[in-house]
Amino acid sequence: MKKLSLHPLTWWIWSFAIAISVARANTPIFALVSVGVVGLIVLAQRDDAPWGKSFNWTLKIALWILMVRTFIGTVIGVPIPGTTLFTFPRVPLPDWMPGIRIGGAVTLERLSSALSEGVTICAIIVIFGAAASLTSPHRLLRVLPIFVYEFGVTVVIATSVLPQLVTSVTRIRQAQRLRGQNTKGFASYRRVAIPLLEESLARSLDLAASMDSRGYGVSRKRSRYRPISWRISDSAVALSGLLVMGLS
Amino acid sequence: MIKFSNVSLVYPNSTTTVLENLNLEIAEGELVLVIGPTGSGKSSLLRLINGLVPHHTGGILAGDITIDGLSTREVKPGALAHLIGIVGQNPINGFVADTVEEELAFAMEALNLPNETMRKRVEESLDLMSLVPLRSRTIATLSGGEQQRVAIASALVMHPKVLVLDEPTSALDPIAAEEVLSILHRLVHDLSITIVIAEHKLERVIDFADRIVHITGDGATTVGTAQEIMESSPIAPPIVHLARALGLKDAGLSVRDMRRATQVLRESVPISKPTALSVSAVPVIEITKLTVAYGSKIALDSITTTVFDNEIVAVMGRNGAGKSSLLRSIAGVNEMQTGTVSVHSLLSKELHSKLRRQTIGYIPQEPSDLLYAQSVERECEQADKDNQIPPGTTYAVLAQLVPGISLHTHPRDLSEGQRLGLALSVVLSANPKVLILDEPTRGLDYEAKKSLTRILLEFASIFNRAVVIATHDVELVAELASRTIFLADGEIVADGPTIELLLSSPAFAPQVAKVMSPQPWLRVRDVIAAIESKSP
Repeated sequence: MKKLSLHPLTWWIWSFAIAISVARANTPIFALVSVGVVGLIVLAQRDDAPWGKSFNWTLKIALWILMVRTFIGTVIGVPIPGTTLFTFPRVPLPDWMPGIRIGGAVTLERLSSALSEGVTICAIIVIFGAAASLTSPHRLLRVLPIFVYEFGVTVVIATSVLPQLVTSVTRIRQAQRLRGQNTKGFASYRRVAIPLLEESLARSLDLAASMDSRGYGVSRKRSRYRPISWRISDSAVALSGLLVMGLS
Repeated sequence: MIKFSNVSLVYPNSTTTVLENLNLEIAEGELVLVIGPTGSGKSSLLRLINGLVPHHTGGILAGDITIDGLSTREVKPGALAHLIGIVGQNPINGFVADTVEEELAFAMEALNLPNETMRKRVEESLDLMSLVPLRSRTIATLSGGEQQRVAIASALVMHPKVLVLDEPTSALDPIAAEEVLSILHRLVHDLSITIVIAEHKLERVIDFADRIVHITGDGATTVGTAQEIMESSPIAPPIVHLARALGLKDAGLSVRDMRRATQVLRESVPISKPTALSVSAVPVIEITKLTVAYGSKIALDSITTTVFDNEIVAVMGRNGAGKSSLLRSIAGVNEMQTGTVSVHSLLSKELHSKLRRQTIGYIPQEPSDLLYAQSVERECEQADKDNQIPPGTTYAVLAQLVPGISLHTHPRDLSEGQRLGLALSVVLSANPKVLILDEPTRGLDYEAKKSLTRILLEFASIFNRAVVIATHDVELVAELASRTIFLADGEIVADGPTIELLLSSPAFAPQVAKVMSPQPWLRVRDVIAAIESKSP
């Protein structure tokens, strides 16, 4: 599938619309279908760039949230009567805490209600993760109003330094494993942190020097190379999202 | 164009003067080369030109520097952006945008240039640096040579009158370096841009230099034509050492001139066959069907080879050919591999802690990755403790490798050569059976390179150990390696005695070999030995 070249706001508008429909529909099936569709779009359309991986990250985070939420939802809180699946040992609580329960019977109804709430929330997170995956943060910042832009440049630089930090950590840990050092556990953090901090510091100084000598901040106004325009394909994608929202 | 009048520079919290009373005038269209040992102040001199020193770094500056009539005292570096393009030692650290085109436009956007001008200039610079096919690529995915070209292009879009480059070829393979340098040569000749360049690998640049500024290290500087400086400079490319050894001081600095001057000599000796060095037959590193892939990109494709005892193997090839991947696989830290690598019949991947230290010593591209203590003393103590050897042993090794390092220095404050020495002594303190070095000569001066050569030769011959070294430095390979492996696109394209391989490839031939071809001499001492054996 050919990669569409879209306005950086398009996927965000589309994702907002889908997220709102998921919230409005509030059925786990619709949420799961949306995640599936979004996932397919991301696989086909995302950039081969650091931010392209943010979808995977949000997917992982969402699963984690779902697990924690479901666990807490079934173990703590008000019991819902129904078919009992299994029973946790119940933690005895003092008399002055009535209505709260830890452990006890887990019913099918309780489990499914906790799951379906969780799925909706997680689907919304994943949908925004998809928008982040599909849009370069650098391009996004370029279409934002000028007062955001000034601050935005700082963010752009931070986002381009972040993936470099990740590669640095991998490299340093690898080197230290070769020195025969343990790279797990608390003590190893210090051994990685020190070279990492030093390197990041040197790198930021280099970057600042480079920006300085390239005239950054000399002129209050900045011109734009290649202004970004809104096209028909953008309208089509955005409308499809809004349509889903209207139907939900 | 550039005028230094009575310039002296001292950094805060430092007792030594970096530069003392420098007077220098550089005319338009001149290419000036700055040389000196590491840490002597080459980068400081370059950064003085656009005022990054002292505006950005601090320090006390006496005297005055003017660029096209503008004094750096009065304006900030940004105000000189239209006049001076500066390319730092690690261009990747200075990149701001994520694609090539946007990076090129960055400085023009900052100066609020009209869109049409930007379009035109981006096209121009893309053409000039042959970057057109890469225009929409993400910068992080480019090779070192391509990144260097992007950095130069993004300086050129400003139509600067002066271009300042700090070691532009140190991370590049010989072919990429040649490309970058010939572009610089063209800029000087076609556009009359003034270029100031600092470089350790003189053999690559000296041909192009109109004048040389030699910083001796104690703040003193001498300025002169390449020919004048090379008469007495201790920092000199192999070709100059050859001329000195043969007593041909006026022979010139290019291969062509030297060939003319040595024609009689070359022809006076019958062409000898290169003598192959004998190596032991004890295999140490055995690599079988090693394949490494990152995603869909194949870095190494089914490599099979063996390294023997007391052998020094150089791994060469272009940027991105898979050298580092191969070295990391030998060291056993590459997770993306199939196939096996064993060192003394132990699978290198499965080694850990003490056994690993005692089997494989590995110096990564950034030696400081291995170091984490706050002082040289603590670093050495840690190594002693790790390897259960008497306290002080590691420091004794270090003192032998690089004498004169204070125990209380912070590893960051060491020069490149000293830091490599420290990392090396930490690794050697475990007495490893093989030593692996990934591009150890980046940023090393000739002096440091010489002592590295000595250490590695001793390690291989006295202790009977194997050394594998990845490098772009053909002169180092000529001095050091008994065998060379050429990698291209993840495959071994050539593997054999160094002398045969280097002589058969014009791009990778060392200077002495270029001068002396077809004689099989790689080093100055080969030439001398051949002449001496003939005379009696």
